[in-house]
Amino acid sequence: MKRLIFAEVFKLFKQGKTYYALIATFLIEVIILFSAYSQGQNVLDILLDNLSQSFHFEGNLLNGNLLIYLILNTLWFHLPLILIIIISGSLTSEYSDRTLLTVMLQPVSKWKFILSKYIVAILFTLVIVAFLAITSFVLSYSLFGRGDLLVFIDTLNFFESADAFYRIKYAFIYGAISMVFLSVVSLTLAIIFEESTKTWITAAFFLILSNLLLKVDFHNDFLNNWLFAKLSDTWQYLFYFEIPWDKIYWNSSIMILYTIITMLIGIVIFNKKDIG
Amino acid sequence: MARFSIYIFLFYTCFLNAQVIDPNIIKVQERLDSIEKFSADLELEVAISFINIPNKFAKIVYTKNEDTKVVSDDFVLIPKKGLDVSLNQLFKYPFITVDRGFEERNDKEYKLVNIIPTDKKADFSIASVLIDIENDRIIESEINTKKDGSYLVKMHFDKPSSVLPKQIEVQFEIERIRIPLKYMGKEATIDKKKYKSGEVKTGTIFLNFTYTDIIYKA
Repeated sequence: MKRLIFAEVFKLFKQGKTYYALIATFLIEVIILFSAYSQGQNVLDILLDNLSQSFHFEGNLLNGNLLIYLILNTLWFHLPLILIIIISGSLTSEYSDRTLLTVMLQPVSKWKFILSKYIVAILFTLVIVAFLAITSFVLSYSLFGRGDLLVFIDTLNFFESADAFYRIKYAFIYGAISMVFLSVVSLTLAIIFEESTKTWITAAFFLILSNLLLKVDFHNDFLNNWLFAKLSDTWQYLFYFEIPWDKIYWNSSIMILYTIITMLIGIVIFNKKDIG
Repeated sequence: MARFSIYIFLFYTCFLNAQVIDPNIIKVQERLDSIEKFSADLELEVAISFINIPNKFAKIVYTKNEDTKVVSDDFVLIPKKGLDVSLNQLFKYPFITVDRGFEERNDKEYKLVNIIPTDKKADFSIASVLIDIENDRIIESEINTKKDGSYLVKMHFDKPSSVLPKQIEVQFEIERIRIPLKYMGKEATIDKKKYKSGEVKTGTIFLNFTYTDIIYKA
């Protein structure tokens, strides 16, 4: 099993796509940083427009913490899309190149092979989120400094710099759980569809559907608490003024459960498939 | 008859001139005028339903006839109104006063006086102040400004002899705002009017002072 995992890691870092993903993530980050820095003041002016009638403002809100928060918002769409392409591609390319057939001709257990793919997919996702977090902290703090963070979630929430850092850090950690789930889903879809274009389309559709369903209020506690789409924004709870930790733990636990179930479904399907 | 009418007119004119400024207001003004300069550590506590902000700290420096300076290392919301501890805004331009009797606050009676500026340059149209005539200080003022609506200022003192307040509570009206937080793309050119709900709320800010230095007129 260990060897299979090492082999998968080797394949992942040997293929050019992995580095394209890292470069794309970094480029998105840089673009967000500079576009947000140039437009951010306008948005802050709008947010604070009413307050400016009653208050003077002392201090700078357009700082590193705000910019990291904006980068964090790539967890909605940009980052999952990159992950979906890379992770599903790690299996669909093996189908198209027929290397999978070669591997299966070896004395390798099918379930162990696909489990190692899942494990490496999860590790890769965590590495990418960590890469995003570290580079955004380094870039934002070194270029734009620290300061209070302003977030609008139903109310205008101001967080002091140290508190903002704490919240952003945990937002990346809990955001990584959602990213892992989407990566696992994309790999499972790759098992089902085998072909890259079909997999990407269905995985992208799944991502868009998740984002759309997230905004729908079902007026049903079960759906609002258990539907996967409703759990994908758990990291946003870190930016409520009073952090609802119980809700975060609950959502994350269910998300991890869904991730395991999706993996098991994928393993069962792959095991039953006739490779060749 | 004509001469008698002139006497009557002159008598009332003299009487009106003598009544224009309430003596208690003059005493309050004189007490506040005795302060040349002060500096204080300031704690700002904002209580507005749609804003969550931790208490902030700043330093405030007041010098007579100069703008009050507030400096902080943090991001702070500094109220445009109510920081005028010396009530300079009320007494800056010529005014007349109208005695409105007494009003009760916390089982104690205070004198209610209206201050009406007679100079167009004044930025308020009328102010109602409650005066503690025992200690010669204003404990509450409701100021109707020409541009920024009205606001209520309550002053709390730690000692009967204190000229400067320990705490100021400023109540004002503020419009609620609803905006989705999406900075990228076209949302950055958001239409302000479209996203304003127009709902008006009352906001309160508490300013707690710890005076580090007070210099009185020699």
